[in-house]
Amino acid sequence: MLFYLLKRIGLAVVIVVVAVVLLYSMIHVVPGDPASVILGPRATPEMKQELHELMGLDRPFVVQVASFLGKVARGNLGMDFFSQRPVAQIVFKQLDETLVLVLASIGWAMLLGIPLGCYSAVFRNTFSDKLVGFFSIGVIAVPSFVVALYSLLLFAVTLKWLPAIGAGEPGQYMDQLQHLILPAFAIGLGWVGYIARLVRASMLEVLNENHIRRARAFGLPEHMIVFQYALKLAILPTVTLLGTGIGRLISSAVFAEIVFARPGIGKLIFDSVVSRNYPLVMGAVLVSTVLFVLSTTISDSVNAMLDPRVRERL
Amino acid sequence: MSTPNMQFSKIRLSRRSFLKASAASAGWLMLPGLGMHSSWAQDPRVLRVRDYGDPQSLDPGIASNLYEEHVNAAVHNKLIAYKPGTKWTWQLEAAQSIEQTDPTHIKFVLKPGITFTNGFGEMTAEDVKFSYERIIDPELKSPIKGDWATLESVDVTDKYSGVIVLSKPFQPLWMTTLPYMGGNIVSKKAVEAAGGKFSAMPSCFSGPYVIKEREPKQRTVLARNPEWKGEPAGFDEIHIFPIDDEKTAEMGFEAGDLDYTRISMSSYKNMKKKPPENSVVEKYPSLYYVWLGMNMEHPKLSDERVRRAVQYAVDIPSILEAAYDGVAEPATGYVPPGLVGHRPDTLVPFKADFAKAKALLAEAGYPDGIDLDLEVRNKAVYIAAGQVIQAVAAQAGIRMTLNLHDSGSFWSLGDESKGDRWKKLQLVLNRFSSAPDPHYAAQWFTKEQVGVWNWERFKNPEYNQLYEKAMAEGDKDKRDQMYRRMQELMEASGAYRFITHEAVPVIYTGRIVPALRPDGMPLLRYFTTA
Repeated sequence: MLFYLLKRIGLAVVIVVVAVVLLYSMIHVVPGDPASVILGPRATPEMKQELHELMGLDRPFVVQVASFLGKVARGNLGMDFFSQRPVAQIVFKQLDETLVLVLASIGWAMLLGIPLGCYSAVFRNTFSDKLVGFFSIGVIAVPSFVVALYSLLLFAVTLKWLPAIGAGEPGQYMDQLQHLILPAFAIGLGWVGYIARLVRASMLEVLNENHIRRARAFGLPEHMIVFQYALKLAILPTVTLLGTGIGRLISSAVFAEIVFARPGIGKLIFDSVVSRNYPLVMGAVLVSTVLFVLSTTISDSVNAMLDPRVRERL
Repeated sequence: MSTPNMQFSKIRLSRRSFLKASAASAGWLMLPGLGMHSSWAQDPRVLRVRDYGDPQSLDPGIASNLYEEHVNAAVHNKLIAYKPGTKWTWQLEAAQSIEQTDPTHIKFVLKPGITFTNGFGEMTAEDVKFSYERIIDPELKSPIKGDWATLESVDVTDKYSGVIVLSKPFQPLWMTTLPYMGGNIVSKKAVEAAGGKFSAMPSCFSGPYVIKEREPKQRTVLARNPEWKGEPAGFDEIHIFPIDDEKTAEMGFEAGDLDYTRISMSSYKNMKKKPPENSVVEKYPSLYYVWLGMNMEHPKLSDERVRRAVQYAVDIPSILEAAYDGVAEPATGYVPPGLVGHRPDTLVPFKADFAKAKALLAEAGYPDGIDLDLEVRNKAVYIAAGQVIQAVAAQAGIRMTLNLHDSGSFWSLGDESKGDRWKKLQLVLNRFSSAPDPHYAAQWFTKEQVGVWNWERFKNPEYNQLYEKAMAEGDKDKRDQMYRRMQELMEASGAYRFITHEAVPVIYTGRIVPALRPDGMPLLRYFTTA
């Protein structure tokens, strides 16, 4: 297991470095001038040139990449020239908001999706199973920004039950929770369907395996068979899905962050790309790439822990 | 395959218990909203407004965006400030009196007793001198240096009095410098203690509000300044939310999260007809100007007849109807109505004249029409405008290809310092912001701006001469004629087809009395409760 973990971590580091170099190249290939955006229309060519030098944009591309990676290795993500604040400070502040949103979304989706999937599998081919299936496919098909808009219109604008914009008063947890409900609902709804379908399919497979039949023959209570024996195995594909799904969740979060005017890393990356704020783009992309790689590494490791055969495949 | 021999009682997972659990979960999720008085609900002592951007720098010397000025204007003082209302004029703010003693000297006297917070003492003429002279100091690299283009010095007469000395007359000073971004007065002691400029948060304030809290990308909170001795601030706190998307802001307003916001032009008619409960919808003329520009140095557009053909092939009423929902008015130049230099009419009629366009094209050697590229920023309103231009111009034989750009890419299209892209630039749908003096808009079309912001590469010696003269001209009528002539020269070159100044529709709750500039922009320090 230890050897597997070491190999997996090594691979993760290589993926991060390659991804960052590729992204750094791509963002610089897109035309656009950060100095024009930072200094505004009234900047003179001399002022722009000076800022280019300050940002290191006048240096050869390879030197810029090497310098960026060197700084990252020393734990320094650089300085945001727009706000004159350290990039790390800005990114981690926004990351908190996105993580809370993503975890809340996936959390409630799991709380509902896993029992729904189990229920469907246990009562397969009944009317309830078909109803759950219809619901699951329905919510998978609806894009999260559509859910965001309609839930906003219904619960915030029409019923006025929940707030529409922002992330709530800092330090007031109830207020923050209220501000979290609609965005988390919008992002998580599709995942309820995914998880329910996946858990149902895995459960159906596992429930028919020999060891489950044997457990049943021994007279073990059915809830123990379903939740302690079957679900433990049936959950594996869901764990993998959640690991790789973090990337998708972060992209879904961009819509929610824009529609609900919430701060977050997705919106930060979007705004930074539009304004060609290279230091912030790279800092945010690096952190979200690490997050993505970390989540897949963790899900792979959990899989390997639960199923020893996985360790042999790397 | 056998079906598990399932008994509901055995697994304790019945349909009923499942539904109960689901209902309980949903109820728990919605609980906070049901009937509880939530903290987001309106507090009469708090004003919640939306701005389109998040302040990056709150040092008035280096801030250059309007949304930064909205905050700065509430927490600092200027000698004079814009007066809320429908006409562009100014009123005294920190100055007890101010007068232009001759074309290059402005004498001012400060009101005694205006203090800076955090123990930085009383505002003096030294602070005024420091605040204005630092903007022209090359060390600061202030983006608003141009606002004080002819400032020579500020001479301090005594504790409260001084004289602003200009190297040459500069008329825009009264409408675009002193009451605007360049006019904010900071504490000399505080800025020097901060190392020459404020970083993210200034260390002292002198206005009716102070900055209480900054949550980047989330909100800025202003609170009543306890040391303020002037007219009391209207609210205990002002919460400013940076929301770029107008539709999101509209929903935020309708949900009761905002008291004031600009709304989209596409929503204006509906909201005006059926406003949300207890709210007011208004429309203000904007200072922005939108035009179709043509690169005069591109081989396809170097012939004036081709440019004029494009001018005649653009139908302004169709653009205003399709892209601006009939809310905006056509523009005759870069100066909007109500300001010195506004032209009553254009050389080319607003309505397209296809016959004339075709004739001009044929005369220029394009009897079968011409293919041109039109560069457009990827925002819904400009895309719609671009599509209308494309569809209508096709009727005159001008076949346009629309190229969409995000902001970062768009704003460097004509910039010579960014490579050779400007050489390929043909047509561009452009939009600039402005200020309530024609000088502000006029500066971008001089010869010196070619390849910087003058993407049409319009070089007219008469324009440049008039630009220099108008800057110094004290006679309002003469200035008016000069700026009219300058815009006429631009249009006559064929490189410009002015489209609109857009409009600023706003919505606010009936519980507040907003204080707005004539262009609908908020002057937060003067907002009060109804």
